[in-house]
Amino acid sequence: MSRAPLIPLELQAVAIAVLLGLLLWVIRLLRRDRLSLRDSLLWLLSTGTALGLMAFPQGLRRIADLLGVEVASNALFALGFIYVLLNLLSVTIALSASAVRTRRLAQECALLRGEIEELRASLHDGSRSGEKT
Amino acid sequence: MRVLAIVPAYNEARNLPAVLEALRHSAPQCDVAVVDDGSTDATAEVARGHGATVLSSPFNLGIGGAIQTGYLWARDHGYDAAVQIDGDGQHDPSSIPGALAPLREARADLVVGSRFLEAGGFRSTPLRRSGIRYLAWLLWLRCGARVTDPTSGFRAAGRNAIEYFAAHYPSDYPEPESIALATRRGLRVVEVPVRMEPRLHGESSISAWGAVYYFVKVTLALLLLPVAPTRKAPGAGSGDGIR
Repeated sequence: MSRAPLIPLELQAVAIAVLLGLLLWVIRLLRRDRLSLRDSLLWLLSTGTALGLMAFPQGLRRIADLLGVEVASNALFALGFIYVLLNLLSVTIALSASAVRTRRLAQECALLRGEIEELRASLHDGSRSGEKT
Repeated sequence: MRVLAIVPAYNEARNLPAVLEALRHSAPQCDVAVVDDGSTDATAEVARGHGATVLSSPFNLGIGGAIQTGYLWARDHGYDAAVQIDGDGQHDPSSIPGALAPLREARADLVVGSRFLEAGGFRSTPLRRSGIRYLAWLLWLRCGARVTDPTSGFRAAGRNAIEYFAAHYPSDYPEPESIALATRRGLRVVEVPVRMEPRLHGESSISAWGAVYYFVKVTLALLLLPVAPTRKAPGAGSGDGIR
């Protein structure tokens, strides 16, 4: 290693522990059906990548050099931000899609209510005219 | 020509009787569908009492969602034209025949009732009027639509517009955006003069700060129109509504 320690050993240990905990938590949620595989894919991928970078900080150094960042841990913070933002955006996208579906469901519900009412009215009329004749 | 009058109503039990009476009087050939947008008052009962079809949403969808429910009903039941009339008494149903004329003559797909084409009636405050002029200008700039009253909720839609709006309708503050979408779709938009009244009861849904939010939001909506051949939104089925 050419330069001073990339990340303090303690920080590395804590980060790995946290990321590993998160990864296990996501897997646990997945296996108990509280999170769909589709929605958790980005979490699994990004957390896995972060874990890899933490375990082998040489990659982090390379990224830091690439970005022109002097201190590797600053690159870490920047990557951390991007990680959170990406996951947040994916959640918002899922939320929007879900809102569109909810709207369609409510509309379908209103249409069905109208349909039932008309059917009921026509049944009522039918039985009344049947009585007359 | 089978015509459906779409009346969106959210807690309008007080204004609705006058609107529905006027509708029956000046447009007796229209079927009426009141879209009860999650009202907590007697809106649905009042509408039913006046012989209207009631489409009750389980919760409040907002004006765009409510109007679209009406268009879905019109599409599924094969109406030739649909007229939008607000449930708050601002629109005078005696303008309906005039709004249907361009559709009947097959020279328009969407007719917008404008309060600025003829003198008289309620025309809002000067500040809001200049806001409306700005939106008209933006619409012209963005997609070449020539309208004088883009915020008007008084509309008449022909078959093509019904089909299109049933599948694609903006969710909140939909009036200017729907004109933009229709124009870009290649639908012919025509304006006719109408008379508007101030609301009978209750406050307008748009307050002073709301107006600022309104203009920012509508401006953004017009600048960021969906990608040209509108992609199918999730859950927005095309032709498989109930019949």
